[in-house]
Amino acid sequence: MSALLEVQDVVRRFGSLRAVDGASFDVQSNSITGLIGPNGAGKSTLFGTIAGSLKPDSGRIVFDGRRIDRRPAYRVARSGVVRTYQAARVLTRMTVLDNLMLASIGHPGERLTGIVLRPRGSRKRERETRQHAEELLALVGLDSHAREYAGTLSGGQRKLLDLARVLMLRPSLVLLDEPMAGVSPTLRVQLLEHILAMRRERGITFLIVEHDLDFVMQAADRVVVMNEGRVLAAGEPQEIRSNELVIDAYLGKAHAPAG
Amino acid sequence: MNVLASGSFWAFVGVVAGIYTILALGLQVQFGFAGLLNFGQVAFMAIGAYTMAILVVKEGWSMWLAAPLGVVAAGIGGLVLGLPTLRLRADYFAIVTIAFSEIIRYVATNETALTGGSQGTIALGSVGTAAQYNGQWSSFEARVQHTLGFSSPDATMLVIVWATALILLTLTWLALRTPWGRVLRAIRDDEDAAASLGKNVFAYKLQALALGAVLAGIAGLFYAWQFSFFSPDDFQPLLTFFAWMILLLGGIGRVWAVPIGALVFGLIFAGTRFLNFAPFSWFASDERAYLRLIIIGLIILLLVVLRPQGLLGNKREMVLE
Repeated sequence: MSALLEVQDVVRRFGSLRAVDGASFDVQSNSITGLIGPNGAGKSTLFGTIAGSLKPDSGRIVFDGRRIDRRPAYRVARSGVVRTYQAARVLTRMTVLDNLMLASIGHPGERLTGIVLRPRGSRKRERETRQHAEELLALVGLDSHAREYAGTLSGGQRKLLDLARVLMLRPSLVLLDEPMAGVSPTLRVQLLEHILAMRRERGITFLIVEHDLDFVMQAADRVVVMNEGRVLAAGEPQEIRSNELVIDAYLGKAHAPAG
Repeated sequence: MNVLASGSFWAFVGVVAGIYTILALGLQVQFGFAGLLNFGQVAFMAIGAYTMAILVVKEGWSMWLAAPLGVVAAGIGGLVLGLPTLRLRADYFAIVTIAFSEIIRYVATNETALTGGSQGTIALGSVGTAAQYNGQWSSFEARVQHTLGFSSPDATMLVIVWATALILLTLTWLALRTPWGRVLRAIRDDEDAAASLGKNVFAYKLQALALGAVLAGIAGLFYAWQFSFFSPDDFQPLLTFFAWMILLLGGIGRVWAVPIGALVFGLIFAGTRFLNFAPFSWFASDERAYLRLIIIGLIILLLVVLRPQGLLGNKREMVLE
């Protein structure tokens, strides 16, 4: 395995607060990496700098051999790094199908010049996009809701829609921000299965911020622990579970292995 | 004769409603589809009208060349306004747009050598002459009138304005049904989400702003042709807010709501013009003028309260979160 994403000495300040303070770690290709740590550890800020919505003050972020830390968010997304938000950001006033069809990269019909100069190409692409979207809706079991406004979906359905929309972009790295927050036990199992299948069948790599430690320990191959803007520890779930520093800063005695 | 029974009065109301339709359509593209709070729409109207009039009078250009250039100038105005400001948060952007429209109006008032200043387009030519930019338009209008076999120029203008408005409405409607329009709607709903799906939010906003400005520029041309004369006072911020009222009345995010809103707005305005019966006749005429504005405000308030989604809007869309 090789590193798909390298985070190198990333610093991001908000005024005098160093939210991310020299964080470094790698995400291996085709892995599921969990990013954990107490509230205020800098996980979300780090997510923002990887996804391009925040610029790091210093440090480098390298994806697939190329620096992406100077790119705007939309170009990071186009290069194959796609993020989700803690509360699924579905477009409530658009239909479920439109939410998915929106997530198509390089669609000629999304440019005015494309509509005028390449009408056939954009219609063809639109048909393919619709077909791809319908397949993915069926995959997550939302096909019967295709024509409804996304705003009518429940919180759990929105999570599924969000996941399907990420797949539309054919990403190589997916950043999930607390996918299990506010999710029912049944859906939890479903989401986990989808994530594992996405990795297995589509070769997608995951970086997941999550407070649900059972989920992290179960799903992740590797866990990165952040505290006060820095990486406190990184390793396999078993190592992390027994790491004294991590137990003190975050896990507490309850999650430490017995004995 | 009662003015309300006169055909030319209603033709005038219709022409103005048509011009407002085009102006408010631009706003619909900007706000209804891209979520841009533009309170300076009237500026692009002014840029279109002034560019045309100046090129015709001062440079002696053909109106058929000057008019499209006026529209292009309005579009460039949109780009110039948008490039430095579109990254601002929505509320700050709104403040900048209203300032922009006032800057344009003040420049038009004070750059007398270029615009004729507060005297308006009549002072565009050399001192002592009354400048006219409308010659070619009048002969075109006369030809159309002859072709259509109409007896009055008012009816001819009505047909020209509404034919143009319908073409522009159709083109806008078609454009917004494309994947391009889908991206705009996504940006209106949640621009961060759109960016994380790979959409260049800034470029789309800029396009929406410029296209809306182009539409306002076209409205400016018709305004200039309809009145044969204009001055900076014709481009008060109030006109932008008329366009906003049309959006509210018709419904936000619906292309065909714009002409409906404009017609209703036109009817409210025209219908309250002759309040010369009791109890209105108890007031002096200047008091009645203010009373009329109060009544217009109340009617619009009532419509918005009773139908917050507008006449054609979708109420369900308003409550989705």
